[in-house]
Formats: sequence, C-alpha cells, structure tokens
Amino acid sequence: MTARIWTWIAGGAVVASVAILLADYAVSTWQAPRDDKLVKNLQQQVKSDAAVATNLDTEQKRITNARRARKSRDNTVSWVLIGAASLFLTSAKRIVGQVSGPVAHQPVRAAPALAPAPALASASRCSAPTVDLSFIDELVAKEGRTKESAIAFLQAIQKHYRYLPDEAISRLSELTEITPAQLAGTSSFYVQFRRSPAGKHTVRVCHGTACHVAGARQVADELRRYLAIPEGADTARMFTMDEVACLGCCSLAPVLMLDGRTAGRLTPSSASAVLAGLLEREKV
Amino acid sequence: MRPGADEIRIGLGSCGIASGAEPVRDFLQQAAERAGTPGVVKTVGCNGMCHREPLVQVVEPDGRITLYGNVTLKTAQHIARRHIRRDWLSKWTRQDEGPVAEPASAAYLAKQNRIVLENCGEIDPLSIDDYLARDGYRALERCREQMTPDQVIAAITESGLRGRGGAGFPTGRKWALGRAQADPVKYVVCNGDEGDPGAFMDRAVLESDPHRVLEGLAIAAYALGAAEGFLYIRAEYPLAVRHVRAAIQQARARGYFDSLRLEVREGAGAFVCGEETALIQSLEGKRGMPRLRPPYPVECGFRGKPTIINNVETLACVPWIIRHGAQAFARFGTPTSRGTKVFALAGKINRGGLVEIPMGVTIREVVEEIGGGIKNGRQFKAVQLGGPSGGCIPARLADTPIDYDALAETGAIMGSGGLVVLDDRDCIVDIARFFLKFTQAESCGKCTFCRIGTKRMLEILDRLCAGTGRRDDIEKLETLADYVSRASLCGLGQTAPNPVTTTLRYFREEYEAHLHERHCPAGRCPALIRYRVTDNCIGCTLCAQACPVGAIAYRPHEKHEVDQRLCTRCDMCRQACQDDAIEVT
Repeated sequence: MTARIWTWIAGGAVVASVAILLADYAVSTWQAPRDDKLVKNLQQQVKSDAAVATNLDTEQKRITNARRARKSRDNTVSWVLIGAASLFLTSAKRIVGQVSGPVAHQPVRAAPALAPAPALASASRCSAPTVDLSFIDELVAKEGRTKESAIAFLQAIQKHYRYLPDEAISRLSELTEITPAQLAGTSSFYVQFRRSPAGKHTVRVCHGTACHVAGARQVADELRRYLAIPEGADTARMFTMDEVACLGCCSLAPVLMLDGRTAGRLTPSSASAVLAGLLEREKV
Repeated sequence: MRPGADEIRIGLGSCGIASGAEPVRDFLQQAAERAGTPGVVKTVGCNGMCHREPLVQVVEPDGRITLYGNVTLKTAQHIARRHIRRDWLSKWTRQDEGPVAEPASAAYLAKQNRIVLENCGEIDPLSIDDYLARDGYRALERCREQMTPDQVIAAITESGLRGRGGAGFPTGRKWALGRAQADPVKYVVCNGDEGDPGAFMDRAVLESDPHRVLEGLAIAAYALGAAEGFLYIRAEYPLAVRHVRAAIQQARARGYFDSLRLEVREGAGAFVCGEETALIQSLEGKRGMPRLRPPYPVECGFRGKPTIINNVETLACVPWIIRHGAQAFARFGTPTSRGTKVFALAGKINRGGLVEIPMGVTIREVVEEIGGGIKNGRQFKAVQLGGPSGGCIPARLADTPIDYDALAETGAIMGSGGLVVLDDRDCIVDIARFFLKFTQAESCGKCTFCRIGTKRMLEILDRLCAGTGRRDDIEKLETLADYVSRASLCGLGQTAPNPVTTTLRYFREEYEAHLHERHCPAGRCPALIRYRVTDNCIGCTLCAQACPVGAIAYRPHEKHEVDQRLCTRCDMCRQACQDDAIEVT
C-alpha cells in the first residue's frame, strides 16, 4: 500500500516542479526583453542626466538579483524533479507489477481480457491468513477416519483448495487416525498433489511418447512464452502449467488439457490460439 | 425411435471430445428434435479410429453403415439433411465432405478381430440396456447359474488368456492360485492405472464399454469367492472414472452385484502404481512403493488378504470367453499367445488409433496395412513397443510376429500395447533419453540402482544429446543398464534400461555419431543442429514472423538469415516456411 502513497507524493512533486520550471521560463522570457529595454533607456538618460545613475544602479542590481534567484530556484527544482521522477517510476512499477506482471509477448493481450489479476493480487495479499477448514470437518464426517482413505482425502482437499494447504493437512491429521508423517509421505510421493497454491487454470501439456515425437517440447516452450511463465516456475498469474506423462489421446498428439478440456493436433504456432479458444469455451 | 429410422452414432470418447465432437453432437441432436425424432442420435464411445475423430457412424435399418470422419459442423449439416430429415435430394447434392472412403476404413478394420473392442463405438456407454442388448451380463449369469468357480477357472485356463498388462502371466493360473487360498476374505482388483505414455486402450475400453470390465471383474470375483472389488483408475482419465461409476450404479440397480461390492479408486499420478504390489500400497493409502515378491498378492495382498489383480483388457476378454467358449478364443493367435491384443497405434503413422489384432500378426502388417504407412511419405525407422519398459524394434525386424515370446527375443516386450511408430526424423538417442527421463522421474526411490543408476544413465544420455559425451560413455551406459536391471526389485526398475539397451543393440551407430562426431543424424537434438536458410528463400518473411525469439531479421525480399546466437531451435521457422528453404544441419 505504501507504494501507492509514494507514487502519489512523487507524482505530485513531479507535476509541481514541472509547473514551477515552466512558470519561471515563461516569466523570464516575458520579463527579459522589458528589463533590457528599461536598462537601455536608463543608460541613455544617464548620458544626459547624472542624477539618474543611482536609479540605474538599483535597477540593474534588482534585475541581476531576480535572475540569480530564479536560476538557483530552477537548479533546486530540477534536482527535486529528477528525484521525484525516479521515485515515481520505481513505485509505479511496483504497483503495475502487482497488477499484471511483466508482459513479455504481445499475444498476452488475449489473456488479460479474462478478468486479469485483481483476483490473484488479492489472493497473494491474503495468502498467509485463514484457510477455511470447515470443509475438512465435513469431509471427515462423510468419509470416515481410516488410514486407507488418505489418498481420497488428499484428492478431495486438492480439488477443493486447488492445492494442499498446511493448515488443512494438520487439521486432517488431528481429525483422523492418519499420521502427519503418512500425509507428508503420501502427498510428496504422488505427482498429482501440490503444496503451493496453483493458478485459477491448469494447463497440462502432454509429454507422452507420441506427443514427444510430435514436438511437445516446442509446444510447451511456446505456451510458456505465451503465458509469461518464467523459467523454473510453473505458475504465472492465473495459469499453472503442468507436464503430464500421458493424457491418452496419442493419435491427436501433441495434446494439451485445460481444466479437463482436451485439445489436440497442436503446433507451436497454433497452441496459444487453441488455448485462448478453450478459455473462451470455458467462460461460456 | 421410429421404425426404419437411421441410427446416428457420435463418438464422444476423450479423443472425440478433444477434436470437437461436442458441438457436432449438439447440432445433430437439435436437428433430430426439430425433425421430431430425438431418439436417433446416440452418444457412443470411441471406435478406435482416432485419426478420423470426430466420427459419426450412421447405421441404416438394413444394417448398412456409413462412416463420416473429421466431422465439422458443415458435414453435420449434410448428415442431418440426409439421415435425419431424409431429404431425398441430398443423395444427389454435392458433398464436400462425404463419408470416409470405403477402402480406407476397410483396410483399417479388415485385419482386426474385435473381442475387447466388440462394443466400443457401437453402444452408449452410459446405458446398461444397450449393453444388455448385446448379450451383456449373460456371461455373468451363466457363470453364476450353470458353472462352478472351478469350471470358470478351467475355461479361462483353457482359453490360454495371458495378462494383458505386460508381463503375460496366465490368467487362469493366477485365478486358480487365488481360489486355492484358504482365507475366506479375498479381493479382486482391476488395474486401470495405465501409465505407459503412448498407451490408451484401457481408457478407451473403460470409457466406451465400462460394463464389460465390470462383468469381467464380477466373474473373477465369483471364481475367486471374493465379496469386494476395486477398480484403480488413473486420475488423468476423468471421463473413464465417471463412466465406470455410473455403470456400477446401473448394474447394482439391476441386481447384478448383490453379492459384490465394487468401488472405484482414483490413482494420484504415479507410474509405479501399475506394479501390483505398489498398487496395493496405494489402495491402502500409502506411498506406492513396491515390495519384495513372494509373497505374491495372490497370497498376501490388499489388507494382507489374497488379492487378484487383473488388467482392464484382461478382464474385458473374460465375458467373451465365457459366452463363446474357450476354444473360440484359443483359435486366434499363436500356440503360446492366444487370442487378440489391442494396440494403441500412434506416432508418425497415417491412421492412428486403437486396433485389435490376433496375436501373431507382424509389425509390418500393423504399420503398413492397418496404419496406412508413415506420415508424409517419410521412411519407417522403428517402432517403440511397450512404453518405458519396452524397447525399439528397427524397421529391418518389422516382420517379427507380435506375440509375447517373439517380442521378448528382440529385447522389447508386449507391454500394455503402446505402439509408437518412429520415422527417419526421430532421434533414437533422444527417444531413449525421453523414456529414461520418464522412468527416472517415476522411480519410487526404494532401490539404489533404480534411483541413482537411472540418474547416472540419464546424465550420460543428456551429455550425448548435448554433444559433450565422454569417450567411455557408451560402455558405461551398458554397464549401468546391466546393474540397474539386475539390482532392482520391481518391474519398473528391472525394465527401465530396456529402451537404452534395445536402442544400443540396434542403433549403436547413432549413439556413436552423437559421441564421436557430435552430430545428430536425425536432426533432432537441439544442441547438435543448426537451422540455415537455403537459396530457395524468396524473402517472404514468414519465418521472421514465426520466430518467437527474433533470431531472423525482418528483411522483405532478401534472403533471410538465422542468428545462431539467438536461435533456440524451436523449429517454428521450418514449419512456417512454404518454400522448403530452411534446412537443418
């Protein structure tokens, strides 16, 4: 939030400094010829009338002082302007970064149309606080407390929260006879489970044999660029990208799945458009 | 449905939906409702011709079948005119997208004998009545009313059915062992954890004909004397899970499962859980790590009780065997491998999809006659059979008959039946690396040799593909492969080096080219190839527009150039080029 305040302050300072500089410039351009004329007139008069000499002297002093003052003021204001502008840029960048992240590639334009980041921004802002645990209570009441249903529990939790929150896991171990160790072991063994929050949409790119020979790597790379998912991460804004072993649609390779909807016969150049199409259909 | 109306079947398996069958179905259904015959449009599963999805099959009252492939909304309009509204003019109107040409579909289907896929693509998977109309649950009734469990087991033994999950253990023997156990509480489990990348027959069967698998499982439970059964299905197959759950409910409502409790358990994405001891661990809610056998699950399995675990396809064969007799089944195939096997044809092939062929058909027949040869007229290089546990069989051995033993001789295995066809643009080292990467990631970590040995092997293959191989890398790879296969506990580890050993056996020269010449003969390994613009270039800038990293400067009417420092070898320029002016060296 402080970033926002600083942006306002710095922005105001920039505007004020620019206004002062412009005003000074206007004043000086308007004033200078008049002053020159005045001094010239007085100099003419001094030639004929020595009494005016003091007058000329004071007038010259006044003009010099005014110019010097303006110059030093402009100097200060310029420095303020530079400082304020840099402050403005850094803080504004931070705010923009919160909202939409670095936009690397022009097609991303298509994605933000789908109600971009406020949802995620607010999610990240309140990531620490409470996870609603009543779901766990209901789940245990329905499914029982046996060790055997550990995987089913974890699947249900993952489906509900889209990841396995620590609070949910510890709550589950309190309510059932499953130990925290078993939950940790099981949830880390199976690739389906994730311990960090996922984006709103999951894009699964198939990396099965058929998809591999049909160029799944290139498709995945292109989608990464399209969704602006950085190297080493799997989530950017609303999208989480997953590589899966096989989606079982090998004759349509390469294949991707967006939240349970599959599309096939992709090429690197068509992948982004196909993904946008699937999103459209999902919205309907 | 009015008598004499055409029946219109739309394939809505996963692959049908993926290629856009839903809008077509909606359109045809609306058309049928407007015509006052809402019953004529039927949603069915997958009939195996995945390469022509979305598929619409029209069955006329006299039994004639017209097949429409790659159906778009435009074709759907034509279908509605011709088969729903029965517009008599439509027979003479111009058809832009008519039915699938007769020879193509005939060639695809001619060599097949459909036992497992008997009903796939012909019945509505969500309708038990459709299944009953096809003699469904008759085999179960017959077992319960006319046969003793021992007779059932004898029939299965006589049929020569072997496990279709990969290992090929005789099913009858497994059941007999289970029956012999004294413990009164026993379990049956259907293994639908089809993790092999490149195999999808279990998904198709579960999606398109779920009752068949349930019936097979119920017969197994009867033969064994089990009162409880589980279906362990991959979570990546949501449609299959839904269909099976619905089927269980329907069959229970009809009273077929009065003495049997069936439950669906979803897998959580671990390849190793296809191994039976790991699957049991997973059913019990634990980490899916295999354990030492014996004791086999048939003695001490789920909850420490005798448990029989059969693959989806194995169970799908069972009702057919009971209905038609063991002899009828044994008539297909070779002396050691009876019956038929479903293969998932994929890769660089013209007609991919599911094919069910009698054992003993050669690989060449499958690739060239059923599959219609290699895509884009390229050269047939090899087939990869059996997924990460299987191996590559080169084109020169394509006359090998497909049965358990002949395949084992080549070093590959039948596996669950994924058959991925490779052409001359596929790098063998890259394929081996792909599979090893998979098994490496899927190794449960229990055995040191599997956990670390595969890691070291993968590092060597990474080096080879990056052009930084060391002099003794190939020998080291062979030694490690031997260690890993001998010192691992479960099938996953024992067979993990298979893709490497078979490719080393048949394509050693490619490994050597990577190692000594730093050259990828197939032009696939990114570090070893360069994209160059040839003199064919007409300066159209298509490649420059396609390049995602700006490695090709935008200079219209000039020969383009690829900036090697920026190029990421993504292949987009070559795909974009209309004049064949980008070459890979």
